Amino acid sequence: MMKRIVIITMVFLFVATAVLAETVTVITKENTIREYNKFFSPVKAYVKYNDKLEVLSINGDWYKVKFGPSIGYIHKTAVEKRTASSPGLFSRKGSGVSESEAALAGKGFNPQVEASYKSKHPEMKFYLVDNIERFIVPDREVTVFIANGGLVQP
Amino acid sequence: MMKRSVAFLFALLLLCSLSGCETMGLGNISQHIGTAMTVVDATSKASRPISDEEEYYVGRAVAAKILGSYQLSNDRELTRYVNLIGRTVALHSDKPFTHGGYHFAVLETNEINAFACPGGTIFITRGMIRTTSNEDELAAVLAHEVVHINKRDGVAAIKSARWTQALTVIGTTAAKNYSPAEVGQLVSLFEGSIDDIFKTLVVNGYSRSQEYAADEGALQLLAKSGYNPGALDSFLKRLAQQGKASGGGILKTHPGTSDRIENISGKAPSGKTSTKAIEARTARFVSIVH
Repeated sequence: MMKRIVIITMVFLFVATAVLAETVTVITKENTIREYNKFFSPVKAYVKYNDKLEVLSINGDWYKVKFGPSIGYIHKTAVEKRTASSPGLFSRKGSGVSESEAALAGKGFNPQVEASYKSKHPEMKFYLVDNIERFIVPDREVTVFIANGGLVQP
Repeated sequence: MMKRSVAFLFALLLLCSLSGCETMGLGNISQHIGTAMTVVDATSKASRPISDEEEYYVGRAVAAKILGSYQLSNDRELTRYVNLIGRTVALHSDKPFTHGGYHFAVLETNEINAFACPGGTIFITRGMIRTTSNEDELAAVLAHEVVHINKRDGVAAIKSARWTQALTVIGTTAAKNYSPAEVGQLVSLFEGSIDDIFKTLVVNGYSRSQEYAADEGALQLLAKSGYNPGALDSFLKRLAQQGKASGGGILKTHPGTSDRIENISGKAPSGKTSTKAIEARTARFVSIVH
């Protein structure tokens, strides 16, 4: 009987610990988990908006996170904790968005509203905005540009 | 008795583990026991600032509106160059990531101007680029705009009454999809918000304090990035000379240039830049811009 209690309690503890592990949510359309806490370190995994990441530790402006089988770093401004808990550990510095606000993700001015606005204003050149957003300068070009110009790697 | 004690101990341990998690935030508990919607309902009725995602959609529409008044440049080499400088500076800012990322584009006009759309799209005019004399000065202009985005100055231009009204519509439902009537209301408020920001960016300009803060932030960003912070001062002095002749543009929407120069006086962080690095940056600037 005692053995049973011990096993059940331990299993329960294990499950509770797993469930209660801290998670953060990706708030950028897409982002990367890096091998080190540096912007241009090798990419371990690609993440997208609303992906949930398990936080293992905090290293300055970077969170060490687990996403699926990948463990690596993501910058604090790319994630948010979506709960109504008290602000603190996971609040984003320099952001006007609180944790509870982020719980409203997808609400308000969203793709549905933009689509309706577009149909009401066909003269608006959203296709050019899409072109601007598609113009991506690869990381490797940025690193070469920084190095060649004697600038500081972030 | 022994059995009871063991059970009690484990129960206590479990309780401790739960309360320990409280200090890390209760968010996951609510997520896992399915009360997330309650949280959403409760918070949606409260006053809140615009979210990053909403800022992104507003910014896209503001950018589209600006592109109704100005012609987008097809100069890919110049656009790439401006993006390289802009991204370098943005990565050193307080907010290196926005929902949709930073994007820099050139407008084909002689008007001397630059616009920071909420969310991260930054426009710089050909006239403004011509007014800069080197890469460091061009970086100073872009850094100023990045700071406007970091500080969310664009969305701050939305009239508070309009946003309060939007929150009322947003707060009536927990669903992400709205009814046609609600969409109609939100689109009208979205439209009004875009007009508020467009008027501020293109017609009235930000407040004097917002502009001064953007200049001061730009000094820090330049220094962090390895650019010469003194480039902002030299650019503003040239702007004061050239701007007198051109009129309009940035001079119409920004505080007096001499006031801006005075504001940043003595505030530039000291930094050393090697002559070789300056020569390399000047060479690439000349080859692309002139």
